[in-house]
Formats: sequence, C-alpha cells, structure tokens
Amino acid sequence: MPDPSAEPARFRGRPLDVGPDEPLARALARRGRRLLGRSLRYHRPRAPFCGVGHCTNCLVRVNGVPNVRACRYVPSPGDRIVSEAGWPSPEVDLLAAFDLLFPRGLDALHGFRRPAWATPLYQRAIRRLAGFGRLPDAGVPPAVTPGEERRVELAVVGAGRSARALLAATGAGPGTLVVERDRALGLPDGVESLDRTTAAFLPPPEEGADRPFTLLAVGDRGRAHRIRARTVVVATGGYDASLLFAGSDRPGVLTAEGALALAPVPERPPFRRAVLVGGGERVAGLLALWGTHVEAVIAPGTVGPEVARAASEIGVPIYPRTLLLEATGGRRIRRVTLAARGGGARFSLSTDAVVLAHRRLPNSPLLFQAGASMAWRSEAGAYFPALGPGFATSVPGLYAVGEVAGFTGAAITESGRRLAPSLGGRGPVDLSGLTTLLDGAPGPLDGYYPELVDRLPRRSKTVACPCEDVLLGELADFHARGYRGIEVAKRYTGLGTGLCQGRYCVPEAVLLLAAWERRPAPEVGRITARPPVVPVPLGALAGLPEGGARTGP
Amino acid sequence: MTAPTRDRYRIIIVGGGVVGLFTSYHLARAGAGPILVVERGFLSSGASGRNGGGVRQQWETRATVRLAREAVGEYRRFGREFGLNPYFRQGGYLFLAESPSEAERLRAVHAIVASEGLPSRLLRPEDVARIAPDVARDRVIAASYLASDGTLYPFPVLWGLYERVRALGVEVLLGVEAAGVVRTEGRAGGIVTASGPIAAERVVNAAGGWSAEFSRRAGLEPANAPTRHEILATEPVRPFLDPMVIRLSDGLYVSQTMRGELVGGRTMPHPPGTAGGMSTSVDLLPAMARSLVDLLPRTAPLRILRAWSGYYDDSPDGLPIIGEDPRLPGFVQANGFGGHGFMLAPASTRRVAQAVLGERSDLDPATFGPARFLDPDRPSTPERLQPG
Repeated sequence: MPDPSAEPARFRGRPLDVGPDEPLARALARRGRRLLGRSLRYHRPRAPFCGVGHCTNCLVRVNGVPNVRACRYVPSPGDRIVSEAGWPSPEVDLLAAFDLLFPRGLDALHGFRRPAWATPLYQRAIRRLAGFGRLPDAGVPPAVTPGEERRVELAVVGAGRSARALLAATGAGPGTLVVERDRALGLPDGVESLDRTTAAFLPPPEEGADRPFTLLAVGDRGRAHRIRARTVVVATGGYDASLLFAGSDRPGVLTAEGALALAPVPERPPFRRAVLVGGGERVAGLLALWGTHVEAVIAPGTVGPEVARAASEIGVPIYPRTLLLEATGGRRIRRVTLAARGGGARFSLSTDAVVLAHRRLPNSPLLFQAGASMAWRSEAGAYFPALGPGFATSVPGLYAVGEVAGFTGAAITESGRRLAPSLGGRGPVDLSGLTTLLDGAPGPLDGYYPELVDRLPRRSKTVACPCEDVLLGELADFHARGYRGIEVAKRYTGLGTGLCQGRYCVPEAVLLLAAWERRPAPEVGRITARPPVVPVPLGALAGLPEGGARTGP
Repeated sequence: MTAPTRDRYRIIIVGGGVVGLFTSYHLARAGAGPILVVERGFLSSGASGRNGGGVRQQWETRATVRLAREAVGEYRRFGREFGLNPYFRQGGYLFLAESPSEAERLRAVHAIVASEGLPSRLLRPEDVARIAPDVARDRVIAASYLASDGTLYPFPVLWGLYERVRALGVEVLLGVEAAGVVRTEGRAGGIVTASGPIAAERVVNAAGGWSAEFSRRAGLEPANAPTRHEILATEPVRPFLDPMVIRLSDGLYVSQTMRGELVGGRTMPHPPGTAGGMSTSVDLLPAMARSLVDLLPRTAPLRILRAWSGYYDDSPDGLPIIGEDPRLPGFVQANGFGGHGFMLAPASTRRVAQAVLGERSDLDPATFGPARFLDPDRPSTPERLQPG
C-alpha cells in the first residue's frame, strides 16, 4: 500500500488523484483529461486509442523517462509526470499549424531538396522537431536492472481464459511458468507467474537442446527474464483492430479495449454518447454494458441476430453495411459522417466517441518469430497458426490455444481445457465442436475499403499509420507510382515502422493494397515480425546474465 | 514487371540492389542498352534495404578513400538529380580507440586519409565531448573524426534509382531469380531463369549476399562469402547524437537518424555463412543493449523497437571485387563489398560500368580485380577498418 504521508504523484506539477492499481490514463480520463499527445508530423491532437499499451497516443514522460504509455503505467507516490507533446502544451500546440499548412500532407520523400545551400538548415530544423520525447535525463535510476535466467518445463504465455483452463486441467504445478502482461489471477496452486511481464522474443527452438526454447520477457518495472523451456504454449489472445476513415486518429475514436481501459468501472463508459462499430458478439456484449450511452450501431458488414435483438430491446438504431466516412471535431469528435454501402447518400450522427469492435486480430508475432507455419484466413483478414492434432503448431513443442489460434466465444476456454491431455502426452485431443472465427464466411471488411476510398472526403486527412502520421494519400501515391507489396510500402512510406510495430495500420493497409493490386492479401505479403514483440528497454536487456551455453542439463 | 520484353539484351545485371541499379544507371547514361536488371526478391529486400546508412571516407586503402570521397559528393547531389531525398546528413564519423593498438590503427588511417586531402582529425578523449557529449569516455584513449562523413536513408536512394533507370529504358524484373549462366563459346552469353534463358553479351554479378552463390552457378569458385550481420533500431527520441560513433573494441556502431531512432549493430560471434537465415539471434538483443548502454549511458531507459539482419558479402582482403572474371569472359564481378556496398556505390559502380564496357578505370586490377584471388602467391594486406 502506498504510504499516505508520501509525496503524491504529480502530473504537470499538480497532485494526481489516482486509485490503487489505476493506470494513469484512466485516472486522468476521470478528471476529463484525455488529450495527452500530438502526432509526429502534423501535430494533430491525440487521446488514448488502444488501451493496451501499443499505440502512440498516450505517451508521457515519467521521472525523466520518455515515451511511457499512460494507459499501462500505474503511478507511484512521488512520480513526476509531464507531457512532452505539443508546444507549449498538448492542448495548445502552435506546431499544429503544420496540419493546416499541409492539407494534402507533407511529402518528405520528395521535399527539402533545393536549394543545395539550405540542406543543413532543413536538416537542423527537422531534427529539432523529430522524435517523440527527449533523451532520458542523466542518471535516471536504475540505469540497468539486473535480470534473471530460469529453466522450466512448460512456459505459458498469457493467463487468459484458455491458459487458465489449460492449467486447471493439466494439474500443472512446479516447473510451469506463466508470463502475463497484466496480473495473472485464478491460477492453480503451485503455478508460478511473472505478472505485468510481456513476452518479447521467442526465436525458433534449438534442435537437440534439453530445453529448446528461449523466451525473452520483460517486466513493466524493467526486469528482463531469459526463460529456457521444454514446451511453450502461446495463449496471447487477440486485440481490437483499427479502421480507416477520415479523422480516425481523432480524440474520441478508440477501440473497445481502449474504451474499457478508460472506464472507471466497466458500467461507466468514458463517453456520453458513442457510435459502436461492428456487428458481432463483441458488439452485443458492449450493448448490454453501455446500452443507454450508445447512439447507434454501425457495421461495415452484416449484423448478427444477437446484436439486432439487443439493440432493438433498448431502441438503438442499427446501420448495417455502412461506410464510416469521417469523424469530425476538434479536441474531441462531435459528429460522424456515414453512407450506406452500394452508393447510399451521406448522413451524419452526433456522437462524442467511436468505439471500434468490428474485428479481432490475433496477437500472433511470437508464433511468427518461433517459425510456426501460419495460414492466411480471409474471413478474419489475418494469419493464424496451422494447427495439427492437439493444438500443435508446426514447431515441435510449441502449442497455440484460445483466440490467437482462432477460437472464439466459449471455445476459447474449451480449447485450453482440451489441450491438457495433449501436453501430458496422453494422445491426440478432440477438436470437434469448437467454434472458431475461421468458418469460411466472408470477412467483415470484404470489399469495404475500395468502396470507402472512393467516397472519402478529399479535404480532410485520413491517417493510414497514426504512429508515423502516414496519410492514406501517401499509400495511394506509392501504388500509383507502380510499387507493389506491403514490405515495400512499409519502406517507402514508413507505415508500420512506429511504436505500435504495425499492429494497427498494417492489417488495414494489407486489405487496401490487396484491393488496389487486385490480388489476394497473402500475395501482397506480410511484414516480418521483427523482434522484440513489444519495445523493450535497453537497460532491462543489458541486465540479463551473459548468454552462455544454450544447451545443458 | 515480371517478364522481359525481349529475348536478348546487351547487358544483364543480376541483383537489383544499390550496386546493380547504380551500375545500370551509369551504363544507360553511356548509351549501353538494352539493359536488364533481375532481382530475386522485392526492391530493398537484400542488404541495400537492411544497412545502417553510414557513408564514410576513413579507410586504410587509398583507393577506397578516393572512391568514398567521390561517393560523398554523389550522395550530396542525389536528391537534386534523382528527385527523392535520402537526407544525407554529414554529421561525421567518430572512431573510438580503447587500447594502444587500436589507437595506432586510427593514427595510421588518419595519416592516409589526411594525405588524400580530407580534413580528418585525431582527437584526445576530452575533445570527444564537444562532438558527442553523451558518449562515455572513461576508457577512450584516442579518437578520430571526419566531419564530412555522414549517414543517409538507403530507401530513397533505391526508389530514386529504380524510377530513373526505368525512365532511361532499363528493364527491372522483380521476383525473378537467375538460376544459372548461359555459356556460349566459352563466354557468358546470358542467364537462365525459371521461365527460360535470356541472352546477353555481358552478365554482371551484383547479387550482394547471393553473389558467391551466383558465381558458383556460373561454374566459378567464388573468393567471397556471405556472413549474417545483425542490426537494430530504438524508439525515436529528439536527436542528440550528431556523428556515427564506432568503437573498435566491440565493433559497436551507432548513429541517430533524422527522425530520432538510434540505429546500430556490433560484432557478434556468428560463424561465417548464412546459417540462421535473416533471423535475429536471441543473444543479439542483450549484447547490443550492453554495448549501447555502455557507450551512451543515458539511453538505458530507451526501448529497442526492432532488430533485423542481413548479409555482408565479404571478400578475403576486405576490398571489393570489381572487374571481368578472367575465368569466364563476359562475366563481370561487382561484389565483395563487405558491408560497405551502399556507401561506395555511386563511385564503385562507375568503375563496374567501365569494366562492362571494356574501358580502363582508375582502379588497380591487382588490388580490386577478381584475378587477384587466383594467384596463390599474392601477398595480402587486408583492409582492417571493418565495422560500420
């Protein structure tokens, strides 16, 4: 418990009212303060979006360390927290003039070339504005956090429903280690967990080694772990996808996870009236939770019967097969512009939030890194591990369960339970009757983006990659110049090279390029899952004991 | 484009990286078409899209210093000539020595570079603070610095070349692999692809990390060999580091890009060869973190954003291999750049083009020609200033 006599944490000089275990972004949102960031190039206002520590919208400087995610950071007494974005402040940023001066965007690739004598001046000016935060203060303790190495039988990444069901059913005890990015709750006795620790890197196993897997994981407080394991289960779940529209980077547009992360209690949403985007069971759940605060449900595709039922019970209008064209407003959105697909007229709705719940994507980078064979599933617009009998991936000793393996609803828990005998070496398990995302149905965004791009308002910016402020127009220019493929698009535009490591922009860009290039998404390619899975501090990795032999008892 | 428009070219260049594309540029400007470039992957898929963007002129070999000086001039002009801005920033290269033998090496390099007329400087440890205040100096006993060295973004160079050479009539095939060489009357007479042979009077091996393999496919035992190297980038922070910094003791090199990322690598105990593909090894991240925090202590809380790897194409003496291969007339080697192909490319490829056209260049064949490895009695003085 924090010492009540201790100096409180301070945000921009003011004492911060923060509850136990409450992340900073939620504490600030309770006081009505959401605008924490400004975008990299155009200094557009940014507020929390993803709520799970991936996007670039809520970076603050904590005790001299830049780029700390407010949605994940739990303040401690005595913390000094400031905002680095914006000049002079995130709310009033004179550099937002760039947004007005360059309505079609700033072409850095072709710009700043003439006259020759001005090159050093351009470069000096650009370097004064570059980067998110400033360099960490000198002597920020601790420079290097000692790490540890441990050897286990079974490492389970994630402590969600599927992992818990697995652990309960195996009777797993000593020798099992769970790595969980939040707090692992409800684990069986004797199962050890590393809480608030994120798996960062899982290279392919070393053949012939006693413990072939090496997993690097880093705790929120900067401690790194090198875990040697005989078997690894990846149960990393999924996350809510982004959606492209004009102003999709504006404050008030957020994922369902982002909205839940900001809610002081789940029943009290962090908005007055929201538009819910999506038509599946996730939207039905959110309607049950926040029904009276929902202005409308809009879906890129069809709307499931459970959503229709829930919405009609509380009188919320539904707009199936609808294009979300634009969100407008200043520091907070006020209005969305919509149009029915197939050429319907534009109309608009008043709202102060857009909550994205139309599509879940698997948290799959660890599986890619480990070398598991992955298959593109067009119904989800994502890659999932190709699973053999008993949830085995193509890599011996590596298993995938739950949402990351494509299961949905009750099958998430059930998949974990059914994996247990397979891990215990008691033969293949029965996969029948498990519902998965992967039912062969057309995806929710089937044909959506080509239709959208034709109708996007020309006068406002559509930001295709919010971390790097890459505009949709730059992607279109890339295509028009004859370049092809997502790997080249990333290198040409910078899309996907930001702090979220392409989690939010790349899946949408792949669908868009597939439509423009008139070929299936797998041919557009995928961006190599370059380690680490999440950005990890140098000081944490530097504290790991020297590598040494990977094999041994 | 994935299919050639003709069945016969004057010149086929294998490799669509910076060396192949720049060579095609010089040849096209000399009116040497028709020219075909074949690239097995996508643009920038090899080392041209994986390097750290350093461009330096501090070398132990005079001819390399001259090539590098010419390349610096070309990169300064690149944006205006090619229409895309590679943001070549001349923030200097700072070499750090921590032992008497390293210091001696820097002195030797300095003597050569300075005698070529470049204002290279030897620095005392306390002078380092003025150039890079955040660099730890406790173990530094000597340093060398050349302010006109610099760094650039490799990608715009590739796009600029790609767009320009196609405008000049060069055909660039992407996703097409050269599976072999057609031999006609003891000469290289074209290449073999999955969709059939394509004839040419000259074949240029500019395949970088794959050039040793392509020599083998041409029936020639290569002197060069690929080695996997790893590199990483941190999250972007407001620029604080002007020069590229290289520490000889651990081979650490690091620079800060225009947008604020620190990009660098270090010597890793990798066996030569391509084992591991283009993956990242589990030991890289901690090893690199230790080196970086040691060099720049204030970076400890900064986060590593991504790591990747690529192939150096190493020759036995550390110098490029440029010239027609005496074992196979019509087959021109343009490889062995040892991780420095990008920085020398604008200048080195001008000599490659001369070799293709049968013209004499200012490069001494005994130093740079492929024949040098065929003489078993040849004395070897390797270029040792390897990192970065």
